[in-house]
Amino acid sequence: MGPLIDALPFSYTVSVIALGAAVLGLTAGVLGTLAVLRQRTLVGDALAHATLPGVCVAFIATGAKDASTLLIGAGAFGLIGALLVVGLERSGRTRPDAAIGVMLSSFFALGIVLLTYIGSLNESGQAGLESYLFGQAAGLVERDVTIMAVLGLGALAVVAALFRPLKSTLFDIDHAAAGGLPVRALEVVMTALLVVAIVIGVRTVGAILMVAMLVVPAAAARQLTGRLAGVLVLAGLIGATVGVTGALLSAQSGLPTGPVIVLVGFLVVLACLLLAPGRGVLWRARKLARDRRRLLVEGVLIDLETALHGGPPPTQRELALASGRPRRALRRALRDLERTGALARDGERIYLSESGAASVHAVLERRDLWSAWLEHGWRLELPDAREPDPRDLRASLGDEHADRLRALAAEARS
Amino acid sequence: MSSDLVILLTAGLTATACGLLGPFLVLRRNALMSDAVAHAVLPGIVVAYLIFQTRAPLPIVAGAAVFGIICVLGIDALRSTGLVKWDAAIALVFPALFALGVIGISTYATGVHLDLDSTIYGEIAFAPFLSLDVLGAELPRTVVLGGAAVVANLAFVALLWRKLKTTSFDPQYAQAVDVSPARLSRMLLVAVAITAVISFESVGAILVVALLIVPAAAAHLLTDRLTAMIAITVAIGWVSAIGGLSFASAADASIAGMMGVVAAGCFVLALLAGPRYGLAARAIRRRRAGRRARVALGAAGEGGAAA
Repeated sequence: MGPLIDALPFSYTVSVIALGAAVLGLTAGVLGTLAVLRQRTLVGDALAHATLPGVCVAFIATGAKDASTLLIGAGAFGLIGALLVVGLERSGRTRPDAAIGVMLSSFFALGIVLLTYIGSLNESGQAGLESYLFGQAAGLVERDVTIMAVLGLGALAVVAALFRPLKSTLFDIDHAAAGGLPVRALEVVMTALLVVAIVIGVRTVGAILMVAMLVVPAAAARQLTGRLAGVLVLAGLIGATVGVTGALLSAQSGLPTGPVIVLVGFLVVLACLLLAPGRGVLWRARKLARDRRRLLVEGVLIDLETALHGGPPPTQRELALASGRPRRALRRALRDLERTGALARDGERIYLSESGAASVHAVLERRDLWSAWLEHGWRLELPDAREPDPRDLRASLGDEHADRLRALAAEARS
Repeated sequence: MSSDLVILLTAGLTATACGLLGPFLVLRRNALMSDAVAHAVLPGIVVAYLIFQTRAPLPIVAGAAVFGIICVLGIDALRSTGLVKWDAAIALVFPALFALGVIGISTYATGVHLDLDSTIYGEIAFAPFLSLDVLGAELPRTVVLGGAAVVANLAFVALLWRKLKTTSFDPQYAQAVDVSPARLSRMLLVAVAITAVISFESVGAILVVALLIVPAAAAHLLTDRLTAMIAITVAIGWVSAIGGLSFASAADASIAGMMGVVAAGCFVLALLAGPRYGLAARAIRRRRAGRRARVALGAAGEGGAAA
């Protein structure tokens, strides 16, 4: 760790904190993804709460306050909690959400009892343990970070080694089981990895908010890519970035570390949910608005062509009456067309310019081709089951098939 | 009133208020939503303190209710985008709101007499020292508030009894006769938010979850009837209050935490020894059924051999 700490452009303490937060974010991001994709995020919440009595028991048993002993206690209780949650869910009567809720609050209550009990024993004993509630990055020392890094690297190595079987289990557990994979064992491995991530993070983020560190990177990364390997790598990077940013902000402001990291993470997720290309809420809204506008403009072009076909060039009013479109929509479409140079005006009257006539032709041809595809597409006997793009059928089918489709349509018409 | 009695009444009334709502949360699979809402009221409390500079109950209840609603609507909104699953939506929204509250408390704590410890496990031991002026009579504040919460929740459950029952047991039928399960769930969660904030001073915003879920889950193991389930839940709540109080003073630990631990003990007892759904009862039933089957098979085998 030494050289790495020296290489960072911060003071020694800040470098240790930043490194610790990076390790925590990286592991929580990657390992949390496994839980989020199985919809077991809140089990992670219960396990994080279960580590609190573990820390206290380890303290009472050994009297030690060094992080590694306490983390062994946290890990042991995390595993016990995981076993109990699964056992309770399988016991039949208690539903999964109640099982998680019961475990979470029982362990947490036990943790509070032990914490206050330790506090009543001596004045100074509790001071270190309280940071396991809301997290404290400031107390990290180099040795802690080394332990965290070793644990984290081990867990990541397990994920890398078991990548393929984990992937099958995550996406289709029945298929994976039928294919001979030991899915039960793999689920146990994933839960154990979750416990490792929580043990690494709980001191810095705190038991109550640890769940956010598991879900934030996964939820953000999932918006940016659809491939599991991509999600895992991105989640690790996002987790590390969020962790370092939050830990440094908290160290600077003196606020508890967990809440600051969580708020930074929430903002990142929010940005991804809104803006992610192809998926984000605002991205989709903009695409929808554009598609609607394009359809409107094409429709008005065809209306105009129809009107010109049947008589003299119409005025805007006449066009509105003939097409039955709302005035405002028509005005907007005409403005768009005018800007692209598709319109020509003769006083009040509107007709198509040469480029306008060409685009009407293109639109009509495209629409004809699409109806031909719907009616005769099956006769093309395409070599693959592709789903063509309705906006540009010719490009997605290829010229050869498109021409044949037109021939088929013409044949059927005659 | 002696101070022990005040503490006991506070604990018992809080457990009762929670016990009236808990069974519905467990039956409707809303247990984790109630956990989320209980966390999310914290910023509401802080904001109310900051705006009104008072510990008067009404503004704080209002602030908590607002943030409870924000939490529920936020989770619904995230789910409805289809971009994250329900569990991730819960796990994104409530930590963010709770973090906001914790930061608010750490930043402004000196001005508002709030601290993080009381957020988590309340300060029920101080209950006898706080009083509230009600119609000229000096009454212990937490007992009055707890009583108000019990009355409010009782009224809520009594008024919406049929609707709550229908939507809990048969949401599809309820939807068909125009009773929206989603709307009732939201109303229930607002009631949870208000209960959580009233319990805030006594058991803290987080341990209130233990009183909401654990006794109700235990009662769910013991009975199939809703009224019986509510009665058992409230009874377990009082057992937790009494047990929590005595064990906590013996061990010199948090009373609220000990109440949660006693409730958890009741749950374990119900899980092991419940008459119908308990693990022991089921194991015995399984063995009896196995023996009967073996006897029947043996008889059939002998009969076959004789023939």
